[in-house]
Amino acid sequence: MRRRLTFVLGVLGILFGASNVFAQTRVITGNVSDALTNDPLSGVRVEALGTTTSTLTDADGNFNIGVPVTASELLIRRIGYRAVAVNLAGVNDVQVQLQADIFRLEEIVVTGQATGIVRRNLANAVSTVSGTDLQRVPAASIEMALVGKVAGANIQQNSGSPGGGVQVELRGVSSINANAQPLYVIDGIIVSDVAIPSNTNAVTRAASGSNASSVQDGQVNRIVDINPHDIENIEILKGASASAIYGSKASNGVIIITTRRGRVGRPQIRLSQRFGTFRRSNSIGMRNFADAAAIDDAFGAGTSAGFTNERFDLEELLAGRGALSTETSASVSGGTPTTRYFMSGLWKSDEGIMENTGFDKQSLRLNIDQDLGNIRVAVSSNLIHTLARRGLTNNDNAGVSPYMVFAFTPNFVDLSQNADGTYPDNPFERSNPLQTLSLMTNIEDVWRFMGSARIEFDAMTSENSSLRFIGVGGVDRFSQNNELLFPRELQFEDDDGLPGTSLFTTSSNENINIGLNAIFNYSPVNGSMSSTSSFGLQYETRDLNIVRITARNIASGLGHINAGTNVQVFENRARVEDFGFFLQEELLLNDRFLLTAGLRADQSSTNSASDDIFVYPKAAASYRFDMDGFFSGLKIRGAYGEAGNQPNAVARFTSYNATANIEGSPGLQVSGPIADSDLRPERQREFEFGVDIEFGDARATLEATAFTRTVSDLILTRTLAPSRGYTFETFNGGEMRVRGFEAALNLVAAQSPNMTWIVRTTFSLNRSKITNLPVPAFVPANAGFGTGLGAFFIEEGASATQIVGPQPDCASGRNFCRVGDSNPDFRASFINDLSFGSLNLFFLLDWQKGSDIINLTRLLFDAGGNSIDYDDPGTDGNPLGLSRLIAFGVDGTTYLESASFLKMRELTLSWDIPESVFSSLWGAVDTARLTFSVRNVFTITNYSGIDPEVSNFGNQAVGRNIDVAPFPPSRSFWLGINLGL
Amino acid sequence: MINTRRLLAVPALVLALGLGACDTLTVPDFDNPSLDDILSNPTRGSLGAMATGVMIGARAGLSGRAGYISELGILGRESYNFDAADPRFVSELLIGPLDRGNGAFGGNHWAPRYINMRNANNLIDVITGTAAGALLSSADASGLLGFAKTIKAIDLLLVINTRDTYGAAVDVGGDPAGPLATIESKTAVLAAVAALLDEANTDLGSAGASFMSEMTLHSGFAGFDTPAAFAQFNRALRARVALYQGDNPAALTAIAASFINGGGGIGLSDLYTGVYHAFSQGPGDATNGLFDPSRLILLAHPSIVADAQGGDDRLARKVVTIAPVSDQNSRGVTTDRAFDIYTSLEAQLPIIRNEELILIRAEANLAAGNAAAALPDINLIREVSGNLAPISGAAWGVMTAGEQLDELLYNKRYSLLFEGHRWIDMRRYGRLDQLPLDVAAFVVHSQFPIPANECNARQDNLPATGC
Repeated sequence: MRRRLTFVLGVLGILFGASNVFAQTRVITGNVSDALTNDPLSGVRVEALGTTTSTLTDADGNFNIGVPVTASELLIRRIGYRAVAVNLAGVNDVQVQLQADIFRLEEIVVTGQATGIVRRNLANAVSTVSGTDLQRVPAASIEMALVGKVAGANIQQNSGSPGGGVQVELRGVSSINANAQPLYVIDGIIVSDVAIPSNTNAVTRAASGSNASSVQDGQVNRIVDINPHDIENIEILKGASASAIYGSKASNGVIIITTRRGRVGRPQIRLSQRFGTFRRSNSIGMRNFADAAAIDDAFGAGTSAGFTNERFDLEELLAGRGALSTETSASVSGGTPTTRYFMSGLWKSDEGIMENTGFDKQSLRLNIDQDLGNIRVAVSSNLIHTLARRGLTNNDNAGVSPYMVFAFTPNFVDLSQNADGTYPDNPFERSNPLQTLSLMTNIEDVWRFMGSARIEFDAMTSENSSLRFIGVGGVDRFSQNNELLFPRELQFEDDDGLPGTSLFTTSSNENINIGLNAIFNYSPVNGSMSSTSSFGLQYETRDLNIVRITARNIASGLGHINAGTNVQVFENRARVEDFGFFLQEELLLNDRFLLTAGLRADQSSTNSASDDIFVYPKAAASYRFDMDGFFSGLKIRGAYGEAGNQPNAVARFTSYNATANIEGSPGLQVSGPIADSDLRPERQREFEFGVDIEFGDARATLEATAFTRTVSDLILTRTLAPSRGYTFETFNGGEMRVRGFEAALNLVAAQSPNMTWIVRTTFSLNRSKITNLPVPAFVPANAGFGTGLGAFFIEEGASATQIVGPQPDCASGRNFCRVGDSNPDFRASFINDLSFGSLNLFFLLDWQKGSDIINLTRLLFDAGGNSIDYDDPGTDGNPLGLSRLIAFGVDGTTYLESASFLKMRELTLSWDIPESVFSSLWGAVDTARLTFSVRNVFTITNYSGIDPEVSNFGNQAVGRNIDVAPFPPSRSFWLGINLGL
Repeated sequence: MINTRRLLAVPALVLALGLGACDTLTVPDFDNPSLDDILSNPTRGSLGAMATGVMIGARAGLSGRAGYISELGILGRESYNFDAADPRFVSELLIGPLDRGNGAFGGNHWAPRYINMRNANNLIDVITGTAAGALLSSADASGLLGFAKTIKAIDLLLVINTRDTYGAAVDVGGDPAGPLATIESKTAVLAAVAALLDEANTDLGSAGASFMSEMTLHSGFAGFDTPAAFAQFNRALRARVALYQGDNPAALTAIAASFINGGGGIGLSDLYTGVYHAFSQGPGDATNGLFDPSRLILLAHPSIVADAQGGDDRLARKVVTIAPVSDQNSRGVTTDRAFDIYTSLEAQLPIIRNEELILIRAEANLAAGNAAAALPDINLIREVSGNLAPISGAAWGVMTAGEQLDELLYNKRYSLLFEGHRWIDMRRYGRLDQLPLDVAAFVVHSQFPIPANECNARQDNLPATGC
């Protein structure tokens, strides 16, 4: 591998050589300022159009540039402002005012591994979210801060447990059984987003029941580690038409995170301090028994003993905590024209709504840019520590998960702590959740280092062409320790005869990326065209090793796993090696007609044949019309691309299971799953077409996109006829189609020197259909608890996310048929950003319409005779709870509910403190802002459960929306001050 | 122009590189050996490990809370499972319908059995294949074959026990991509089980004095760890199958060659002689999930107390009184009895034991119309296991055939309590309607449906019933 890279470098060097071209020049001077405030603008890039000559303005907005005499125009641009072109005919001094680019039409959007295009010319619908928009209200993880800000993204948190666990679905279902999460790229390096189970399964025994899945631990996908304050912007490539250049890992979309970097100028210091608290935002409620007779009637004679008509709010006792949470963030950045730096630190402590739950994060970042003549070096390094205390939730077969226990614990039972510090046993179930949460430990402790280096070498620069080589290398390494202790004093801990459980899982992940790109720009002086050709290689390895130890029968007061008498060990090692190369050509004609074509070729150890090369082509075109009048701009665009989705690291193996023994004698067993001998990536082919319209001198923009994608070679985990002696076969087959539409409307509703009102809305919908299924219809893995309770069902001609359940007369000939669909009819969001003088109000509404959810928590509450509406009259003359219980085995809609909701996700009110107030207190302060913000302000929904967004099985494309005793959601309130020095 | 030429050089280079690409991305499986490798390159050690794998597989799905013993206990009104976490132990197993789509309930007791038949078939294929020829003496090979076929027969028997007249697939073990084995009738399946046991018996007969040294039989096979003793175990199973087939002479023949010990002077512990599934707390081993120290989940049906003859020691020995526990579905069902049968995490689970053999002999004699021959065996069980007075020959003589069968089934019920027999025995005699229904909504299921996964894979050729 190394030898090959060296070879390529050498060949490229010989081919292109380094040349210097001398040309006659003249000097232009000038000044750039903000059109609204007249403040000088520093760091503005000034370049002679059609050449590679450019400079930056200084702190006072001044610049001085030597341009070829042939140059006719200067292009003046800065991030956040709309670019201006100035005719140079007879001009030597240029005074320019820039308009704020509210809708970021001028920003460069990444379209290749190392190239970009100005948004105004872009041929794809790529969404960008700025760091500012991410940081308004603290979120559990960065994905939650994206909710409602990206058209076409369906982002949902799996439970209210502190510290993330969030699914991002871009443009609908993109896979059935394979990885469903997008690819995350930070500063050019592919980072890990793996979710590792904590092994709470050892006490919940969730996998021992009708779904033997290890993903019910409420695990956290690791992108949660990222510090949102470090982010300059996030670009979202939603599908293959934009992400083809990432090849076989890109069909779920790519989320490209760029971190903040230093800019030329004096040190800029940003300080932010927030204080907040989390409060439970919803409750399920419990049945109220009228009197002792009703209790005896429900639970048997004598069960009402001690009933005093007193009722306890068990949910409040369990999850009524509102402890102080804090977030401290600081950054310093600045630099000289040759050396620029950005340093940041974060100290965050979220205290959860249950005792012993919360999420802490500390982060340190140092980004340095150094120019060395025609070589530029950019180094990024980030050290992170996160510590999550996740509590205990989700499905359970041991009577320990709190909401599982509450389903069977009527509200006249007092579970609160006794005066002597002990807890009463729960007479109705096997555990007392208040005791459990108080005495247990569930810590997820992660140390992570992400570092990258990027070296750009200008091999050749001439008047109208340039050749750059870019080498990128990076590493993402973390170790995750899950330490869980359930002491023997817990009520449930003697249930298995081995009281006391101590669990330790240690996992290490290492992603190494090496990339090399060559970029050749050609743009003749007359400005009629600009061509960017790029070529690159990538080599990537991913290692994930997990060692899990379960120790039982732990003596009182001890917690170490080696104190256990019954010890079980599990090890999982997986390594992936990928190699890919790409070629891309972007041609911009007359700054309005863009043509792009490229291809990516990939090899991976995850395929059965690691030598096989998979090629992913792409092509795109856009044409921009400039107009006068109300419509100031119109662009039509179309793009086609292909991308893949790899099999998981071990899917290609058909193994003999060598992990079990009897009395120490090791055994070899058929483990159930087998793999097809030609396992390969899924392939998505996506075509998107759209129009972007600018109204009223870019005071409003509408971006509308329709897409259609087919995913073929689906990696399916087919349930075999069990009589074959194997359970599942992983294979490629079948085809799925997803069609959809998304639109984003941005509007400056009002703008004046002391008032700005910006409205942004997004709307998206998609529909999927299994167009070809070469095997009988099946229930995919982790997609329910049997069709009797409602399950997902992959069937030709049906939606990929359909939910089936028993129905009295199913036309299908089966005893079950379609009863719902987890895919929403549409999603929409509505953002208002209103500034009035020094005050700013921001709020975000998020609307989901028409998704279905399987509410098994309600089934449990009914089964426990404890649902809040149990005594309401049912249709069959029985109490409602009982009538639902009677109906559910025959009517699959009984526990199926609508997951439609309207949520106000974010609300922020901020006040820029006038300089007169703080300058007397602390002269060094330039800006000061007070903020009050709330996340999850309100939820309007008919859903009877605790939250319509939950997923018992964590992140997966098919099989979300299964509600089994989740962690309740919370609302957080924050008071903060931001200082700029 | 020179730049254009340079531009064209890039694709040329890519092409050159693409042709060579990377050829060293092979990553092995770090966690487990490859199936193909084990099958095509056997060693004596791997054959021993495969034999152990067959024992591990034979134990799978039996002792769990949703396992064979627990669920057949519920259907046969021996036990309840009042686990609050899953209402379907009541709603599905006691009310119904059985959901074929659910691997823990209606669709249960199928896949684990066929997985283990695959384990056994793999072992059989390797032994009979060419690669093993140099590894094994013919005596070693016969011993292994006799072992593998016997365990495979047990798995097939358990399948037909739960599917009854729906039948089961017999001719499994071929290419996983080939045609599916036909679902055959109950009669054909039982005949196949009998034939398999007979084949195994023949193999065991040509085995040596001991099994090959690399094969380790666990402690549940104590006393049955030579081919000759294993053959007695094989014959015991054959007797049970013959009884299920209604072939009483064959049952009596097989029982005679089994390890039956029904003579005078035997004690209670002799009734427990037999072959068991073993459990341990060692890492990588499994424990017996039927041990429920909380006594809140696996509970005894109150009818066990109500129906017991006065002073039956089996009731006192196997059932304990607990604080009342109610069903999790609020159906008003309560019990105050739990089991004291599987008393530790390592408690062994009987596959077949002497007490059953004595009762099989009694039953075969009774069914063959030889009631007098049945009485000594019934009395032996009454006295040794139940501490009950024997039935006099005179009293036995005046009992009707139905009453004699009642007495036999009574003893089977209490002697083999919560070992997976009651429901099958009642069904064999068409007496499922005699099982008690606690509330009107309850029903007694007569058989499990064929699992949805199996039916789905057979859409083109569905079996006549069961799907």
